[in-house]
Amino acid sequence: MSVTRFDPPRRRDPAALIIAAGLAVVAGVMLWDSARLADLGGYSGVGPASVPRVVAFGLLGLSVWTAIEALRGDFPQRPRQAPAPVLWIVAGLSAQMMLLHVAGFSIATGILFAFTARAFGKTNLAMTIPLGIGFAFVVWTIFSQLLMLNLPAGPLEHLIFPGA
Amino acid sequence: MGAFDFLLQGLATAAEPMMLLYALIGVTLGTAVGVLPGIGPALTVALLLPVTYRLDAAGSLIMFAGIYYGGMYGGSTTSILLNTPGESASIITALEGNKMARKGRGGPALATAAIGSFIAGLIATLLLAFLAPWIVKVALVFGPREYFALMVLAFVTVSAAFGDSALRGLTSLFLGLALACVGIDQLTGQARLEFGVPVLLDGIEVTTMAVAMFAVGEALFIAGQRIHIDDELTAVKGSIWMSASDWARSWKPWLRGTFIGFPIGAMPAGGAEIGTFLSYATEKKLSKHPEEFGHGAIEGVAGPEAANNASAAGTLVPLLTLGLPTSATAAIMLAGFQQFGLQPGPLLFATNPTLVWGLIASLLIANFMLLVLNLPLIGLWVKLLTVPKPWLYAGILLFATLGTIGANPSTFELGMLLGFGVLGYGMRLFGYPIAPIVVGLILGPMAEQHLRRALSISQGDWGYLVQSPIAAVLLGIAALALIVPLILRARGKGEMLSQLAGDED
Amino acid sequence: MKQFVLAGLFAGAVALPAMADYTIIAPANPGGGWDQTARTMQTVMQEDGISPSVQVQNVPGAGGTIGLAQFASQNSGNDQALIVGGFVMVGAILTNNSPVSLKDVTPIARLTGEYEAVVVPAASPIQDMKGLIEALKVDPGAVSWAGGSAGGTDHIAVGLIAKAAGVDPTKINYIAYSGGGEALAAILGNQVTAGVSSLGEFDAQVKAGTLRLLAVSAPERIAGVEAPTLKESGLDVELQNWRMVAAAPGLNDEQKAKVAADIEKMVKSENWQKQLADKGWSDTYLAGADFEAQLAKDEAATATVLKDIGLVK
Repeated sequence: MSVTRFDPPRRRDPAALIIAAGLAVVAGVMLWDSARLADLGGYSGVGPASVPRVVAFGLLGLSVWTAIEALRGDFPQRPRQAPAPVLWIVAGLSAQMMLLHVAGFSIATGILFAFTARAFGKTNLAMTIPLGIGFAFVVWTIFSQLLMLNLPAGPLEHLIFPGA
Repeated sequence: MGAFDFLLQGLATAAEPMMLLYALIGVTLGTAVGVLPGIGPALTVALLLPVTYRLDAAGSLIMFAGIYYGGMYGGSTTSILLNTPGESASIITALEGNKMARKGRGGPALATAAIGSFIAGLIATLLLAFLAPWIVKVALVFGPREYFALMVLAFVTVSAAFGDSALRGLTSLFLGLALACVGIDQLTGQARLEFGVPVLLDGIEVTTMAVAMFAVGEALFIAGQRIHIDDELTAVKGSIWMSASDWARSWKPWLRGTFIGFPIGAMPAGGAEIGTFLSYATEKKLSKHPEEFGHGAIEGVAGPEAANNASAAGTLVPLLTLGLPTSATAAIMLAGFQQFGLQPGPLLFATNPTLVWGLIASLLIANFMLLVLNLPLIGLWVKLLTVPKPWLYAGILLFATLGTIGANPSTFELGMLLGFGVLGYGMRLFGYPIAPIVVGLILGPMAEQHLRRALSISQGDWGYLVQSPIAAVLLGIAALALIVPLILRARGKGEMLSQLAGDED
Repeated sequence: MKQFVLAGLFAGAVALPAMADYTIIAPANPGGGWDQTARTMQTVMQEDGISPSVQVQNVPGAGGTIGLAQFASQNSGNDQALIVGGFVMVGAILTNNSPVSLKDVTPIARLTGEYEAVVVPAASPIQDMKGLIEALKVDPGAVSWAGGSAGGTDHIAVGLIAKAAGVDPTKINYIAYSGGGEALAAILGNQVTAGVSSLGEFDAQVKAGTLRLLAVSAPERIAGVEAPTLKESGLDVELQNWRMVAAAPGLNDEQKAKVAADIEKMVKSENWQKQLADKGWSDTYLAGADFEAQLAKDEAATATVLKDIGLVK
């Protein structure tokens, strides 16, 4: 912290300004939502809309504070990040989400496994996807067949366990 | 026969080799399922309960006790090694535990968690056995206003996990509070911030959020730091066992954690997380090495882990003496007890002594087997960190999503996992602490509900909140904890400023 | 143990074609009444060979309406899918404006049920239902009632009691707790004036003398329970918190008959009766046209009382 504080050129931090705007938007949505709630405070005087309002005003205050720090350049330096690996993992999670009920747990999760490995440098998807599917299938078998956990089954699972 | 004779008789039965084996199987199964991020002890016990039906009464009771303790303990291992807490009560463990693991001190972290859990379990089970009827009387004095005061105190303790910026800590906390408003309002049944999406009616699942913030956010962040790809974590530096100084720094937190966690677990609306928060803040206050907090202080693992396990035993106090299931786990345990013909309630200790003492003996044995299973495994667990990163993180995400899917196989839940994972990534990027947002999500609804219940009972009179001595004392402690550091900091800052002014001359 | 593992393995692999592999949706978190009902059905159906493999899936949320909506949309025509539900769902469908109602599934049978009980702490000056009603008439705000979630069975019961006593139901001071356990703690701790929940929740405390049972919501006195009914106390209120099982929408008569037969076989088994006795649930099995008539009656009554309390417009 103290290192950045004494960096001579203090610059405005646009990213932090976006955060401040985001906080204000969240607060606005909460105030808008609380306005349409019926006042059912009953005997307590504190109804369902009260707490969201308090939180929203808190967020507004924090938004202003963030904006001030952003203008003064008080935000810490951000670590350098490579976008590609992050996107690979996001893609893997999205693929799993979309394939889960179509292709079953093993295939969907196998793809997540391979994409995550790809993000960390194992680039050969032709090798990692089958590996991931195999591993996910073993996990599926243990948890759904032995421990009776409800995990979605797809073509692969039905092929090997016709009853599942 | 006196209580002690019953206990000895129960212990003698539970120490037979076959019984020990059942306890070991129970502990192993409980740990194996409980270790999955997103599968808490409640689901673990629910899934594994049918396994115990196949055995006779004594055998099933002991295996059941093993599953319970195994499920409670399982979450801490992944918290420490992989920074992926399995359930809300082990979030605090991840704070210091994972920092220790990264410095190659995963062994001592796991050991202090295991031994702390054992000691807390032992003391708390004995307290349960001999003092339950008295403890429950005290616990019942807690009404909505006392709980509200307790929540306020817990909120103050969150600041212990704020890191180096009050602004970013508070922002994280308020985001958690905002998320906590989503869903049906408990007291009036009105839907808030659900935007017409029915799945949001039930609010945001704490486990999904915790797994997303910690496991997914962490994976994204590490992946983004390309430079680290080829270097390995220092898996083991120094001994994997606890050193003399580790012991010296752990035993007091274990005991303090036990005595914080047990009574809070015994309170019908306490909750295991609150005990871990309070224990963490206490250790940070009392530690001789406060500067190590946030960088892997062993006290920050020892205390909360002990508090977590002690509150698990504490939950059994209202369950056995009042028949009150105060958590989802306890509700499932109640179903389990009924299977064995045990009807919890005020008359239990009088009408069914053999079974009750059998259960308590089983808990003691299961607690011991947990230690037997886990201490030798530490060496193996630590090896997990030597798994090359691509496979390690691929595995973490596989198991993190498995937990979420197993608890609720919906596309929407996975979408939330992804969304909060990205949020967690962004927060890491800008230096926002992760713990306060999760803590806000947990504490927010509790504090709101207790406040509104208290005001409803008093018909809107705010003075009612401080008219009970317990509530007044708790609020007083909270106020002191908030104000004193501010004064000290203001003074410190003043000195620092004058120093700076002097330097510039 | 080994047997269990092997049974689990074979159950998946060697499914007999004639028998259904049921999946039961418990539209609640593990531990609650619906979850326990579903898991008890699972145990009995598997052990008695009614179905070789039964899976229980929890889809929690919003008084069961989330599970219900998912069940109705994903399983049309599937005669191997079941959902557990109950009276609470009837109210939740109304308070949450749920697009899916019980008309969108095929109710099979009512399985168990419990009556509501009104209690006060043993130390309370209130001795009977008459005393409680008098206090309520003097100042409804001063009588705080602890019970389960807003709009649930307990809340409905308090609304009905107030209405029957001639007190404005919107004026009741009802304190909603997330579960029977927390409400019970508040009553035992003397935090509230009175409590309402299912009789089973209070039974042990009443026997131990820490709670005073004022009345039960049964149509006539329950054997072994020393309390008058609400009707005897001059309040025309009768309420059963029942649990049921329903099948998917779009089943033909043959499929429906098959599911109903499997459920009947389960209910009539010794194993089911033993499980009910262990858990202290009473068998209120009701199927076919009788159940449908009962359901329609409950839906109409619930809609009226929720409007009276002000939770539904």
